[in-house]
Amino acid sequence: MRDLLEAVVQRGSEAGASFCEARFFEERSSSISIENGVARTLGSGILRGVGVRVIVGGRWGFASTNLLARQSVETALEDAIGGAKSIAAQRGEDAEIVDAKPEVDTIHHKVKIDPEDISSEEKVKSMLEIEKAARTFSDRVKDTFVSYREVLTKVVVCNSFGTSIEETTPRTYAYCSVISKRGDNMQTGFEFVGNVAGYEIVDGIQPEQFSRKAAEKAVKLLDAQPPPRGTYTIVVDPRVGGLFVHEAFGHNSEGDLVFGGQSIISDKMGEKVASDLVTIVDDPTEPKNGRFVYDHEGTKARQHPIVDKGTLVGFLHSLESAAKIGGEPLGSARAQSHHHPPVVRMSNTYFGPGDMTFEEVLEDVDLGVYLSGSQYGYVETQKGQFTCKVEQGWLIEKGELTDHLRDVAINGLTLDALKNVTAMGNDLRIDMPGMCGKSGQGMYVDAGAPHMRIEGITIGGRR
Amino acid sequence: MDTAEIDLVTPVEKAIGLLSSMGLDFFDVYAAYSRSPSIDILGKGIKEARSRTDLGIGVRAYKERGLGVAFSQSLELTDVETTLHRAVDFAKMAQPDPYFKGIPGPSKAQEIADLCDGEIKALTLEEAGGLAKRMIEAVESVRPGAMYSGGVGASYSRGYLTTSTGVCVEAEKTAISAFIAPTYRKGEDVGSSHEYDYAISLAEMDFGKIGKMAAEKALEQFGSKRVESGMLPIILTPDSTNTLIVGLMGAISGESAVKGRTFASGCLGKQVAPQILEIDDDGTIPGAIASGAYDGEGVPRRLARVVSKGTVQTFLHNSYSAGIVNVETTGHAVRRGYGGYVGAGPTNLRVKPGNSSLDEMIAETKRGILATNAGFFPNMVSGEFSTTIDEGFLIDRGEKRHPVKNLMAGGHMLELYRNIDLISKEGRTIGKGHFYPSIKIREIKLAGK
Repeated sequence: MRDLLEAVVQRGSEAGASFCEARFFEERSSSISIENGVARTLGSGILRGVGVRVIVGGRWGFASTNLLARQSVETALEDAIGGAKSIAAQRGEDAEIVDAKPEVDTIHHKVKIDPEDISSEEKVKSMLEIEKAARTFSDRVKDTFVSYREVLTKVVVCNSFGTSIEETTPRTYAYCSVISKRGDNMQTGFEFVGNVAGYEIVDGIQPEQFSRKAAEKAVKLLDAQPPPRGTYTIVVDPRVGGLFVHEAFGHNSEGDLVFGGQSIISDKMGEKVASDLVTIVDDPTEPKNGRFVYDHEGTKARQHPIVDKGTLVGFLHSLESAAKIGGEPLGSARAQSHHHPPVVRMSNTYFGPGDMTFEEVLEDVDLGVYLSGSQYGYVETQKGQFTCKVEQGWLIEKGELTDHLRDVAINGLTLDALKNVTAMGNDLRIDMPGMCGKSGQGMYVDAGAPHMRIEGITIGGRR
Repeated sequence: MDTAEIDLVTPVEKAIGLLSSMGLDFFDVYAAYSRSPSIDILGKGIKEARSRTDLGIGVRAYKERGLGVAFSQSLELTDVETTLHRAVDFAKMAQPDPYFKGIPGPSKAQEIADLCDGEIKALTLEEAGGLAKRMIEAVESVRPGAMYSGGVGASYSRGYLTTSTGVCVEAEKTAISAFIAPTYRKGEDVGSSHEYDYAISLAEMDFGKIGKMAAEKALEQFGSKRVESGMLPIILTPDSTNTLIVGLMGAISGESAVKGRTFASGCLGKQVAPQILEIDDDGTIPGAIASGAYDGEGVPRRLARVVSKGTVQTFLHNSYSAGIVNVETTGHAVRRGYGGYVGAGPTNLRVKPGNSSLDEMIAETKRGILATNAGFFPNMVSGEFSTTIDEGFLIDRGEKRHPVKNLMAGGHMLELYRNIDLISKEGRTIGKGHFYPSIKIREIKLAGK
């Protein structure tokens, strides 16, 4: 495959492309779905193809195909070149990139247990055991769902700088969700694990801490109250903190949104954007779900400091954003598949730890809300307004957790919220393996935080 | 290779031939390909021209009510063979699903006209770039100096479905979409919004209008302010009404609805809203975005009167969910590509216009919120929602005042439906199929400053 990609890059350069990149993508996945004790569906799929990207006449062109014959990939090159030429006369954003050091390497992420070595029957048996722990937790449990997914992703990147990278990454996931019911009241609880890892992920699952925990959450939420409405001091756990840092600040630090005029921090480099307690890092070298060695432009990944003690110190860069706003690309450009061009993405994003215990973070809160477990979030980066939906909460009264709360969502303005961080715990945990959506692409990421306290956050709810 | 030459029939027939001898109870094979030129807009304007050629094949195999699914992005016969063997092996390993009763047999549907537009089928990247340019120029004509995100995307797709029960359906379709979000800045103040449209045919799209509306909406967002928490009436304009309606439709679709797993599972035959609310789902409208002669299982699509006089008349079924409650499928099976999985969901949703107007609703509101962009996406199990009013305005003494920020709304979806007060006679038609009017909700709980 590398020979084909290198030949296409050579041909693109000869055809006048000032930059040419050819990228092979293959993703093999298998899954098992268990519902109420029945292994109802087993599935598998293969995504495979080539994406070609060029700069011709100062404009970007991109084309992709699932057809791997040389002629088809060369047609994709012609389409990419034709595309770039077709928009040359249109008003737009010129293509510029920094010169990249060529990298030649082959990476295979190692696993302790290769999922291929475990039979499907064995996997089904393990998942059924995990599911049973949830189903038998209580007679309030109405429905249980457990799913397993293994993914092996191979990316080969060749470009006109002479880069030729191949990286193969295994990921394994398990997910459990439970619906509880009492009368008309139904609630859900869930748990998930996942990482750049093999079947050891499943072997490491203790049902009491996983599926029974999901069931316990679902059942206990039957007695929880809707949250109070208004502006409160909040304390968040590592998963909510992870969702918050990802949505509220991480997206704003993505270089393409910065040069594209879509970020509220585009003119704030070197300025104070958060309280002194806030340090934010994006680190693809952490052994978490967003781990990689080379990004999809072939840049070697390094840790990206974004905020240091409240001061903005860095953006996440692609080759293009580094050229346009200044900075060094540290490997943040990734693509969902061959059908997508690389865009700037977070990897493992987290708030750095402080020195307080959880109890100390809570103790000064007279009236507030403690939030636990992340569901989903989104941000309007151009306005700096974020929304995060969380699994559950508790009222905080005089430093103590009291009423249990359900269906809690928070909203705030990023820069106001970060300046109002008044306590940072010492218990950093990166534990939110999932997918992030941007520009129509999903990407493997992770996020985390220590327990932390933020003043003046809007809580939506029915009370 | 010209993708129009790609043969879907041979690999599907080959797969069907092999599957027929494998002792399965049921199976289906679906192959599809698509060609999608698109233009990406970012920053000062057009950033990138893109072209995608996609194809693949998916197999669903059933053995003793266990389901195995497999797909591949290759139509090479050896890959097809590997794919179907995976599906069959998995089907044998899967356990019997007590609810599964089979897949549908063949039925003849009326042809739906105007689902494939020659202009889109032949659209070049240069032409797509021209459409994006038209949209940007329209923004600039309202006020220059915006920074952008957005794009124009077109697609031509063809799919071929064959099943062990004798269904054999081939369909082709086009679609085009446009989205533009201009952002203006005045110091720290931001005026930002977006506009969009999508359709089956190029003639349905007005790129200049999309750009002009986006600019006008963005400029209206300057000077946003926080408002107090409280209980106020809320008026949803069509883009917010859309999410209100889709939220309920999701809760009455497919297996989750009939297995009692959604907040609306118990709503069949019950009045959930005032009698003025009528919702139809019609996948047979010629030239409409969600139309097709057949659903994802090859069952003819049909008009469904989903909510009549405020009462839920039917759930939206595929064959699986219909089998659970012993009714006929309503032709709402959704097959998203060749991945193999089939769900259920709405097609073209049409809310019957009411007697009011948006202007009248605002004029008669002493104090309230006009929600121009808010997503009422509930917890599908509990029905509770807590959402941000992403774009909206304070209404004071019958007039639209300033835009709001940092404002949330919370409640229960069925409470929102019960509190529907007025429906406008005018509204927005999207993709020649969906129709959403403005809706006034008597009161909603708001969390602000």
